[in-house]
Amino acid sequence: MAKDIEISTAEAQFIVGALKERYRLDGRSFDEFREVKIKFGNEYGDVMVEMGETKVHVRISCQVTQPYEDRPFEGLFLISTESTPMAGPQFENGTNTSGDEVLISRIIEKAIRRSGALDVEGLCIVAGSKCWAVRANVHFLNCDGGFIDASCIAVIAGLMHFKKPDITVHGEKVIVHPLDEREPVPLGILHIPICVTFSFFNPQDTEENIKGESNQEIAIIDATLKEELLRDGVLTVTLNKNREVVQVSKAGGLPMDALQLMECCHKAYSIIERITDQIINQIKEDYKEREKYKALLSSENARDAS
Amino acid sequence: MLRLIVPGDKLDIDLTKNVSLGPGVYCDPRTQIIQPVNAGIENIQVGKRGQIVHIDYDSKRYVPAVGDFVVGIITGAFADSYRVSLASFSSPVSLSYMAFPNASKKNRPTLKIGDLVYARVCTAEKELEAEIECVDSTTGQSSGFGLLEGGMVMDVSLKFARNLLFDEKFPLLRLLSQHCKFEIAIGVNGKIWIKTEDTKDTLACYKSILDCAKHPVNEHASILKRNFKALLNAIE
Amino acid sequence: MQVQTGYLNKVDGSSHYENKSVKVICSVTGPIEPKARQELPTQLALEVTVRPAIGVPTTREITLQDKIRGVISPIICRYKYPRQLCQITLQILESGEEETLFNVKELIGCINSTVFALIDAAIAINSIAVGVSMAVMGDGTFIVDPSNEQLKKSVSTHALVFQLVDGSKVVENVLLLDSFGNFDESTLFEVLEYGEKHALSLAKDFRKTIETKIKKDLFM
Repeated sequence: MAKDIEISTAEAQFIVGALKERYRLDGRSFDEFREVKIKFGNEYGDVMVEMGETKVHVRISCQVTQPYEDRPFEGLFLISTESTPMAGPQFENGTNTSGDEVLISRIIEKAIRRSGALDVEGLCIVAGSKCWAVRANVHFLNCDGGFIDASCIAVIAGLMHFKKPDITVHGEKVIVHPLDEREPVPLGILHIPICVTFSFFNPQDTEENIKGESNQEIAIIDATLKEELLRDGVLTVTLNKNREVVQVSKAGGLPMDALQLMECCHKAYSIIERITDQIINQIKEDYKEREKYKALLSSENARDAS
Repeated sequence: MLRLIVPGDKLDIDLTKNVSLGPGVYCDPRTQIIQPVNAGIENIQVGKRGQIVHIDYDSKRYVPAVGDFVVGIITGAFADSYRVSLASFSSPVSLSYMAFPNASKKNRPTLKIGDLVYARVCTAEKELEAEIECVDSTTGQSSGFGLLEGGMVMDVSLKFARNLLFDEKFPLLRLLSQHCKFEIAIGVNGKIWIKTEDTKDTLACYKSILDCAKHPVNEHASILKRNFKALLNAIE
Repeated sequence: MQVQTGYLNKVDGSSHYENKSVKVICSVTGPIEPKARQELPTQLALEVTVRPAIGVPTTREITLQDKIRGVISPIICRYKYPRQLCQITLQILESGEEETLFNVKELIGCINSTVFALIDAAIAINSIAVGVSMAVMGDGTFIVDPSNEQLKKSVSTHALVFQLVDGSKVVENVLLLDSFGNFDESTLFEVLEYGEKHALSLAKDFRKTIETKIKKDLFM
């Protein structure tokens, strides 16, 4: 980040002071995740996720390419995240090298790609010579905190919503059927990882927190931008509905207790359960809307069973 | 008469007489043509000294103008002045150590980085760094300028800040005073500082002001009522 | 054409622009402090960034950026903000055309959305720019805002941007005329004339959108 948003001492003291009295600026409780709004665009795999003021857009696309030589039976899956000054002037153009931005893209990469959420073997067309390359383009539009959580939801919802064109293989020749010619096929999703980010604030001095027994740090879920700027530590856990911990990321910051980590995971589980259901339901509804006229347009003859 | 002006339109002014240009109207240095440069509502007043024209519009990014009351954050200290930010990412302005009441070479102000100050813009040339002062230069008194201690600060749109500061009929401050005691400093740079006796009230004021900025005046009373009530319930 | 201004809240001005199959978001921040290498001693520096819906930015996006800059520079009162920077960022959400073959619809979408975002950010501009995308078909008919199929069948495509003043009813200048394909001089003049007519009627929609925005901002 080039320059940061300036926060006065008074404001910082007030926000942390209010947290000590268990108040958050936006009136949420500490364990409250913002309402997630998911909207699908005209095409398959076009998703807009809004969490409060945070807005993330994801576009999934695919094309036929050659697989990696050492992995002939697997397709390619790429996630590209790049921030622009659109999300806020603190983000710089092109130079995606500052710590925070690298961390965001690494965590999303780990949560979705490396956890095997997408069945890459299903993307193979002809072993060793042809496969699908699926690409997720993450566009950060408005930053009010929680970019990791929002983009994770957007990418996985996009993958679940996306359909790739149907293909026919004749030996080495591959025919790709356009969407209006043949019903496209969905991707193979093996599990649905969702990230939940906790932010920690230290009400006492750091020494007390390392050596002391009190463990009085304040943990809040889904911080807004201002809370993110002031926090002393951050933890992102990724879970799925099968109660599997996909990843835990805590890069430095305030030291914390192992028990608290467990507690965080439990809190996160109820959230990810709710969001997973929401994604599945909304995709179902969207498909239903799209297929409204399908029965009418069907060329199949309705035959009586009798 | 409310007339919508879009950049490039012709203004309803008599160019043979004196014209004073306000915000939103610009005289191109090359062509010397007077034209509106912002979209908004045309506002022309004819006074003794001629016509005064400006465009009424809302925006977010503050550009310093002489005489404006502003709330700034100290971001740096030099040999003879502070560097002050009036809006994140904008060019900083300077606040001289001599622009305080009773200032002398030996008597230095004691502001720290991160402190908030209430000040007035004293010079604003577009080619130069703007300067602000924490003293009324005619009387040498502090006149309410200076350090803002504690409290909370929020960002609002510039139009809303102007209404709150200059429009005596704007009811929000009076409505707020019915709910709690507070100190307030309104900067036309869109920063509002507020301080009350306890966190709960400040929080309610903070939320109410931000909500009111997005809603028409007639809804303000109910917004305040709702916010104060919500916080009172939360404590029980 | 559907435009929503103030779509994003962390930047000074923004617009969400949708016209048939094109969907673009534009954000404008400024005047802010530039980096030393961007600073211009007498005027406002512009940083234009175009991000494609799919894939990473390539030379195609750089071309778009340069064309947008060329259109936007003359309408901004750049000498009002010396040594300042204005960041214009465009995110294409739906291009509505085959990206490898065309860029007219995106270009026009970007330019129109930038005008709204500039107005939302209250950056001083001396007039508004209105863009029209056109295709000339084999039988000589003109199509405004062509679909992807129409673009593929067309013999030439044209992107036109006009600078409008005086109640947005008078064309002051042609800011951009970007044509591809086979056409002769007389067709080009006809395209200009046809595009001008359409731009003037589109300007009415522009003013209506701006009016709605101003009324909303001022609670009228």
